[in-house]
Amino acid sequence: MEFLFNIYIFPGILFILTWAVFVFWFFRKILATLHKRVGPHYNGYAGTMQTFYDFSKLLTKESITPKGVNPYLFSSIPLIAPMLAIIPVVFIPWMPNFVIINSSYGVLGLVVLIGIEPFLLFLTGFGSNNKYSFLGGVRILTQMISMETSFFLSALSPALLFSTMNLTEIADMSSWFSTLILFPGAMLFFVSILGILEQPPFNIPDAEQEIVYGFYTEYSGTNYFLLKLAEFAEFLVTFAAMVTLFFGGYHGLFFDGFICLFIKMLIFAVLMIAIRASNPRLRLSQMLEFAWSYLVPLSLLNIVWILYAKQFILGD
Amino acid sequence: MENIKELFEPFNTQYIELYKENWLKVKLESSSDLLDVARVIKNHGIRSIATVSPTDFIEDNIFEMNYFFEDLNTYKNVWLKVDIPRELSECKIDSITPLFAGANWHEREAHSMYGVHFINHPDLSWFIVSADYYGKFPFRKGFDWKAHEQNLIENMNTIVDDLYDEHGSNDKRLDGSKTILNWGPTHPASGPIRLKVEVDGEEILAIEPDIGYVWRALEHLVEEKDFLGSIVALERICFMDNTNSMICYAQAVEEIAGKEITDFAKMMRVLLGEIGRIVSHLMGIGGFFNTMGLMTLFMWAIDLREYFLDVLENYSGARVATASIEPGGVRYPLNMKTLELLDVAIEEYERTKDDFYNIFLKNPLMKSRATKVGIITKDEVHDFSLCGIVARASGVKTDIRLDEPYAAYDKIDMDYMIEENGAAKNRLDVLFKEIAQSISILKQASSDLRDGIKSQIYNPQKDHLVKIPKKLPAGEAISRVEWSRGELMMHLVTQEKATSPYRLKIKAPSFNHTMILEHLLKGQTLSDIPLVFGSLYICQGDLDR
Amino acid sequence: MLKILDFFDYAKSQSAWMVHFCSGCCSLEMAAAMGPRYDWERYGYLVTPTPRQADVIFITGLVSKKILPALLRTYAQMPEPSYVAAMGACAYDGGPYNDSVAVIKNVTEILPADVFIAGCPPVPEAIITGLDEIKGKIARGEPSVASQGGLWKQMKF
Repeated sequence: MEFLFNIYIFPGILFILTWAVFVFWFFRKILATLHKRVGPHYNGYAGTMQTFYDFSKLLTKESITPKGVNPYLFSSIPLIAPMLAIIPVVFIPWMPNFVIINSSYGVLGLVVLIGIEPFLLFLTGFGSNNKYSFLGGVRILTQMISMETSFFLSALSPALLFSTMNLTEIADMSSWFSTLILFPGAMLFFVSILGILEQPPFNIPDAEQEIVYGFYTEYSGTNYFLLKLAEFAEFLVTFAAMVTLFFGGYHGLFFDGFICLFIKMLIFAVLMIAIRASNPRLRLSQMLEFAWSYLVPLSLLNIVWILYAKQFILGD
Repeated sequence: MENIKELFEPFNTQYIELYKENWLKVKLESSSDLLDVARVIKNHGIRSIATVSPTDFIEDNIFEMNYFFEDLNTYKNVWLKVDIPRELSECKIDSITPLFAGANWHEREAHSMYGVHFINHPDLSWFIVSADYYGKFPFRKGFDWKAHEQNLIENMNTIVDDLYDEHGSNDKRLDGSKTILNWGPTHPASGPIRLKVEVDGEEILAIEPDIGYVWRALEHLVEEKDFLGSIVALERICFMDNTNSMICYAQAVEEIAGKEITDFAKMMRVLLGEIGRIVSHLMGIGGFFNTMGLMTLFMWAIDLREYFLDVLENYSGARVATASIEPGGVRYPLNMKTLELLDVAIEEYERTKDDFYNIFLKNPLMKSRATKVGIITKDEVHDFSLCGIVARASGVKTDIRLDEPYAAYDKIDMDYMIEENGAAKNRLDVLFKEIAQSISILKQASSDLRDGIKSQIYNPQKDHLVKIPKKLPAGEAISRVEWSRGELMMHLVTQEKATSPYRLKIKAPSFNHTMILEHLLKGQTLSDIPLVFGSLYICQGDLDR
Repeated sequence: MLKILDFFDYAKSQSAWMVHFCSGCCSLEMAAAMGPRYDWERYGYLVTPTPRQADVIFITGLVSKKILPALLRTYAQMPEPSYVAAMGACAYDGGPYNDSVAVIKNVTEILPADVFIAGCPPVPEAIITGLDEIKGKIARGEPSVASQGGLWKQMKF
């Protein structure tokens, strides 16, 4: 009974759908405020039903399969991608004493499953019979190889500091002091996440002005809805992972609970939108130079710093 | 001008005379002297050519070719004319493209529209017209348009077949990792122009622009309307800046009619022209950042632009297509509410300009992308005859409002806004500085108008229009203004007692700017195409006319 | 059962996405309708770069002969149900270019439109009012006029 509740309601299918509807509306409203506009306003109270109508419309449109595409790649990837994006939800502690799989290799599971998602999207670009999708697919492969190195190096730093890979124990052992030591690692993790989720200034694979829409170009109707669901599920998992690893998870100032985790995730979402509204896009060669000349050496230095702090400052 | 006159001593000329103190008008006897004359002119130091345009005199059975040579250093220019026979089999003349690289596309256009054959031109293929007009030379007088337009569906099938033939031949020619991408008419960043980009992976090997998707044949359209009605066609050359192009046409008509307009009308023309310039530049700044994926400045700039459109709406009734300037002055009398709205707009600009500068023009990511791309040197400006923002950002001092003042610009205090280095970022900086200069010109003009009205020198209800007769005498005139994109020049020819123009040639600045696109982008990557294209400030409306 | 289908029609009408196609001068006022003063995202409209995800296509002003095959091909790539909005006087009978012989004068016989928005160019408030009519049409479940006739089905593109 509890098993069915976990799969269908929380943190399963209904939770992911509600999160997708909420976060799309949230992004549009915050971006509109920075643009001196008002975002969606007339559907529901302050526009909250707008995304619900958008998704319902996408489900009823005709789903076109163009002539000449590879049928296995084109039609099957939109089914596999959301499933793979939702799986890491089982590792994260959502509320005090509530985690679905309490394994002692939690950090490793998160890193591997988050990292494998973009390679499926490359196959969509390869399978549509379109020059622009192919260019988008090649770009996503280049970007992921560079950004994932610094992603897992900085995700390992709290595990090194606390000598455990269990996510619940990492969240329980953190305090103000350890957050201060882990701060450089948190900033490096945030920048790597911007690269993995393809958000500005790294939104090179779906560059609207250069290659129409990258690997999303040939998708319509239900296929597009499933790919977008995979993208929003990735947002949920990466933000929750960041807060749990570096900033204490569900612990709050006066009380513990799910609501503290949620508020900290929203603060990082606002930071991401503010970076989107004030920065243009980078060129592919500049992104490669930035990743390999600055991010990866800094991540290695960060590990040295963590080991030094563990030895001499925390005194273990 | 005396030393230029001496250059023509060895050649046979019909007449040499001075035109408007900056131009020397020369007519040669025979067309075989053209290449030698061009060489002599270039060795003297005059290196740019604005345009090449034929006029069709069907009763005398000749074409009269006009060449407009300009010197961007000393501002002394030469207008050369020569006659060639009109029959298609004998309609030939030497091409001056080997000497003046900027004449390349102008000669191709003259060939496609009129049938003039240019000997030794590097690539004389069909241009601007759609495929059903290949070989029919639509601008010759005596071409039967209505008969050609009866079969619409066959014409459209000809166009589509031609496109498929081209795709087929491309597929046979290339292999491996080379391919041709169509930066096509429905691309999100291009507008209605097609760039054929030949790439190898992500590196560009060649770019060939294919234009003509907004071709409305404006030069033929004004021959069907009368002198006043042509304003409707000419204000829509490019909608972003719509007042300055009306000034250009009105000045040409007034010169042929021999009438002088009042001082009040001249100052009103300065006011309306500068508002048009600000409105267009704000859209240009927003468009530059749009090409890199950042929409925020576009939204803020459009918000500021609405205040200036309120001023135009109060004066003329329409926001964008105003029809507010006509031959004889300006169209409507002035009431003081317009000047009050202008003060509100200037105050809004002063409140927000620091935000624009600090957040966007000093943005380090934009600088790292745009500082080393699309560099145009001073020699290239002279060779390809560039003008406007593009020339001023490379250090060449050229501005028609200061070189050859028109309307009331001789009473205004202004200066050349130049930058060195000529990269994409420098063109953005020049745009921003020009907006600031236009605001200061607006303040001078509005205070001059207020003082004049208060001391009763100007009568705002009656002084705005002078009567121009409906039938003009025979003559020709050229008129140049500083449009927001560069130098706009119109050449108008009228016959005795006619009610509509006989020939109107419009020289648009974006034409020359698109010519150098391949030269700038060879060897760069795909991400640089929208950036360089957006920084050259091209509008497809005046590219195709 | 019928009530569920009514709900989906209503949802389709409240979130109409349009494709980015600019063929004439009127697209300048479409850009002004996206700005802060006449913000059309309040009603749910959004501009997408590719026609595969769009519902409405605008004929923005004049259509020259060279760009007509591109317009027809973009319309054919949009998934059903798709609607056409004709903007400006040029889409009705050629507008100020009626005497010009490089502009197609009867665009709406070739690709029939569901709503006409008048003006040269129409002010942004007029564009939003015109889009309201299309919303009503979608909510009632009527098919678009272009899918049922028009010269475009006999032409090559």
